[in-house]
Amino acid sequence: MNDKYEVTIGLEVHCEVKTKTKMFSSSPNNYNETPNENISEVDMGFPGILPIANKEAINKAIMMALALNCKLPKYMYFDRKNYYYPDLPKGYQITQNTEPVGIDGYIDTYVGDEVKRIYIHDIHLEEDTASLDHYDTYSLIDYNRCSVPLLETVTEPCIHSADEALAFLDSLRRIFLYTGISEARTDRGQMRCDVNISLAPKASKKMGTKVEMKNINSFSNVKDAIIYEIKRQSEILEQGGVISMETRRYDDTTGKTYKMREKVEGVDYKYYVEPNIPPFKITNELVDTINKKIPLLQFDRIQKYMKEYSLSLYNATVLTKNLDTALYFEEVISKNIDPNTAANWINTRILGYVNKEEISINECTFKTGDLVELINYINKGTISTKQAKDIFYKCIEEGKNPKTIIKENNMEQITDTNEILNIIKEVINENMELALDYDPNRGRTVDYFVGQVMKKTRGKANPKIAMDLIKEELLKLKK
Amino acid sequence: MSYLDKSIEEISNALKNGDITTDELVKESFDRAHKCQDMFNSFVTITEENAKNQLDNLNGIKNNPLKGIPYAIKDNFSTKGILSTASSNILKDYVPFFNATTVNKLYKNGAIMIGKTVLDELAMGGTGTTGHTGAVKNPWDKNRLIGGSSAGSASAVASGIVPFSIGSDTGDSIRKPAAYGGVVGFKPTYGLISRYGLFAFASSMDHVGCFTRYVKDVAYVIDAIKGQDEKDMTSLPDDNIKYSEHIDGNVSGKKLFYIEEIVDKNNYEDTMDNELEQILDNFNNIIKNCENLGMKVEKISINKDLLKAIFPTYITISCAEATSNNSNLTGIIFGSRQKGASVDEVMFNTRTKGFSELIKRRFVLGSYILQKENQERLFLNAGRVRRLIVDKMTELFSKYDGMILPATGSIAPKFMEEVIDKLSDRYLLLENHMAIANFGGFPSITIPCGFVDNMPIGLNITSGIKKDLELLNIAYAIENTMNYKGQIAGGNDHE
Amino acid sequence: MVTKEKLKEYANKLMFDMKDCEYDTLLKEFDIIEKQMELVANMDGISNVKPLTFPYEMNSVLRDDEEIRTIDYMDALSNAKDIKGREIKVPKVVE
Repeated sequence: MNDKYEVTIGLEVHCEVKTKTKMFSSSPNNYNETPNENISEVDMGFPGILPIANKEAINKAIMMALALNCKLPKYMYFDRKNYYYPDLPKGYQITQNTEPVGIDGYIDTYVGDEVKRIYIHDIHLEEDTASLDHYDTYSLIDYNRCSVPLLETVTEPCIHSADEALAFLDSLRRIFLYTGISEARTDRGQMRCDVNISLAPKASKKMGTKVEMKNINSFSNVKDAIIYEIKRQSEILEQGGVISMETRRYDDTTGKTYKMREKVEGVDYKYYVEPNIPPFKITNELVDTINKKIPLLQFDRIQKYMKEYSLSLYNATVLTKNLDTALYFEEVISKNIDPNTAANWINTRILGYVNKEEISINECTFKTGDLVELINYINKGTISTKQAKDIFYKCIEEGKNPKTIIKENNMEQITDTNEILNIIKEVINENMELALDYDPNRGRTVDYFVGQVMKKTRGKANPKIAMDLIKEELLKLKK
Repeated sequence: MSYLDKSIEEISNALKNGDITTDELVKESFDRAHKCQDMFNSFVTITEENAKNQLDNLNGIKNNPLKGIPYAIKDNFSTKGILSTASSNILKDYVPFFNATTVNKLYKNGAIMIGKTVLDELAMGGTGTTGHTGAVKNPWDKNRLIGGSSAGSASAVASGIVPFSIGSDTGDSIRKPAAYGGVVGFKPTYGLISRYGLFAFASSMDHVGCFTRYVKDVAYVIDAIKGQDEKDMTSLPDDNIKYSEHIDGNVSGKKLFYIEEIVDKNNYEDTMDNELEQILDNFNNIIKNCENLGMKVEKISINKDLLKAIFPTYITISCAEATSNNSNLTGIIFGSRQKGASVDEVMFNTRTKGFSELIKRRFVLGSYILQKENQERLFLNAGRVRRLIVDKMTELFSKYDGMILPATGSIAPKFMEEVIDKLSDRYLLLENHMAIANFGGFPSITIPCGFVDNMPIGLNITSGIKKDLELLNIAYAIENTMNYKGQIAGGNDHE
Repeated sequence: MVTKEKLKEYANKLMFDMKDCEYDTLLKEFDIIEKQMELVANMDGISNVKPLTFPYEMNSVLRDDEEIRTIDYMDALSNAKDIKGREIKVPKVVE
């Protein structure tokens, strides 16, 4: 069906900004199960209150606008969005309409192994609303979330599949985490997504009717909702039906979307400049200081790893999912460790362990120094790769470094040729007949002798050295 | 003559010297409040219980001019544990749990709150007749209104109940009732006094100000309540000056101007009457007084269309902001909630029953002004005129120390007297020019300057922003050229 | 063109209704303000003026994200007409 219809998707992503206090009041901005614990008269819009803008929230908003390559305004203004709803105590929401903190931005992201550029219409800072808890006959209002700082990122309608939407959401979330602007926890509703989706026949120039899906709270739900809508809408179109402009709700228990209400075109929110917050000048100095605080973001790191360290897209992507992992990796290779070796170790062994234990790589007792040490032992041939794996797990279990483990279990290989040669001679003497029938074209004899040498050294002789020496010795006998 | 009738300075000294105790003073103030209440209806609440606690806490408070001085405050200020209704039914039982910054500052200085005063509902109105507890009457003539919206605060001072009171001023809500009530009314530079805890009407034009009977008393009050407030982003950094210590009445060399279009009799041929004649003559005499003080007074001219635009500009901006500012009045968290089957019904019924029809009309007008299709033509054009006027005034204040004009073109109207044509020059120019000071946040004061038909009239003086002290000094000097200082309606005798 | 019906619609959007006669009064008031604002719209050069929102140029002093202040929920709910536990109760909100 999708090859018949052009799918067009625009996303509006709300993400709570991480601050100590709220956007316009001094009440705490942290998740709280106890209703109405983190509140102030300002949040609740009591008569006479005035908003006081939070510096940290504004700095972080500017940082996000920069991270999304947006144009910034000269002055930061806030506007009032006027409407009546029980979760909106003041009867208006303080947001940004005339001068959003960022406009006309973009981010690049990988969709599979293709680079896709997603365009940002604008990003603006606003206050969250209260939360309503619904019961059979009544609803209760909890103001803890009221006036929590929110960043709303609005994309252009430039997304054409569920995968692209998901790739964008993941990249966006990584930026929030890399910069520390938000914890972006979907399980706490810190990141919520509205999806606008329309289908139109591939040929046709004009866009199809827009259907809006509100407040989808997990990425997998976003994906499922989009897939379901594409199916639903194309089926309607197939049967010659028309899509009605409406707002729908995705129900993750049934995996279906349901109509909430007809979309009233152009609700007039009577926006006007918030008169209690004088304009705040965004100076170049401020922009520079904030810019310096932005780390190299995931997409650029992936590119760097592939270009400079010739890592695979897969390895680069896994390493850069979290900034801590990327920094761990960079620390290791700074000690002249081959990037691919390091990447493989981190992505398989270390992340395997870290993810299983659900800890951050920084909490892992196996530090960068340990990995460097371990890899160097392998390179020197002191230990085999197989041994290295065991050593790694021993290190973690016993909280010791590779050196100690190797000592304690005297695992060093015998690489001294004379020592090995003596043992080989013993073995040959013990099996002289076999030695004399040696035929270079049949390897089995050599394997047998290697096995014997290993037996005598309890596996510690370096197999490669042993094999080469055995061949030499056997050939000598032939002459 | 009772100490209560004297200036803050005199009362404060009398208290220090023990000529009178705070308890006696406060008791007399309460007695007058109760006695006058039936006559003038100044108060929504007379706050006796609260005063007891305040009196008990006085010992802990350092000596200062306001210590032990009784005062009244408009009922649109948030007062912890005390009913705060904004004279609207929708808030008729609202008891805040926090104090406005102004209230806290007065408390810390030991001023004693006597009562919460009646205003026009939600401070939207200029008559003092629309409060939910009834109209405020003019102590000089009970058949006349005193004007608003700070009506009760004006009448409480005019009738001698308190030496000062707190009001709010968005268009001329302090300075007009001051004129009608024969008292001093002052609003400072926007931002000099925190608005935190003042119920918002039109945030960009709302000011906290005060009524007194002596210009110098204004300085004492402002000294106590001015200053930057972390709870108000529009509040100015402290200027760290005690105004009361710098008022000497030395104004020689100062330059004043008045706007010809507003005081030129020829402008009002069609509406001219004896009343206006006398008001304009009075004004011309004051000009002479000013010159005798060594000030230069010049006549300047401003485009009449611009002046005529003041009133519609004010209405447009104030109604628009008011609609939004009062959207919190839905009965859900506070206020007199009405029943309803759905939340929307609850809000709908609460607001339908809670607001007077006049207020609703203002709100509808305001939201119409903000509608997308009208914003450019109405709201933004009003903002443009506002800038033209403010720029013009700012330019003038760079050359002059102040502007003087008659506060109003009439004496306090009788109740039910039909209001003059809102399209007439007399109304547009003479009755509304004081809003200029709200457009630009200019400090502005009205002082009593005479009588017409036995009713007081006022002189308005306005200066450039942050020139509050200079303005008070000019007003003080002019006050001293006349005999209306400290006057109380019905004479200085409440026996 | 503003009609009584329109005005009623506006009023209802503001969550209230008015007495029928009030809408007639309102129509007159609209007429006055529109007339007066016409005068404004016709001022020459008005369109090139930047609307004034704040009385004079002020620069924002932002709040440091440090000091935390909360209120007791009992205070917060002390004026509410209907509460349950620590929350304000309203008729069921259907989305």
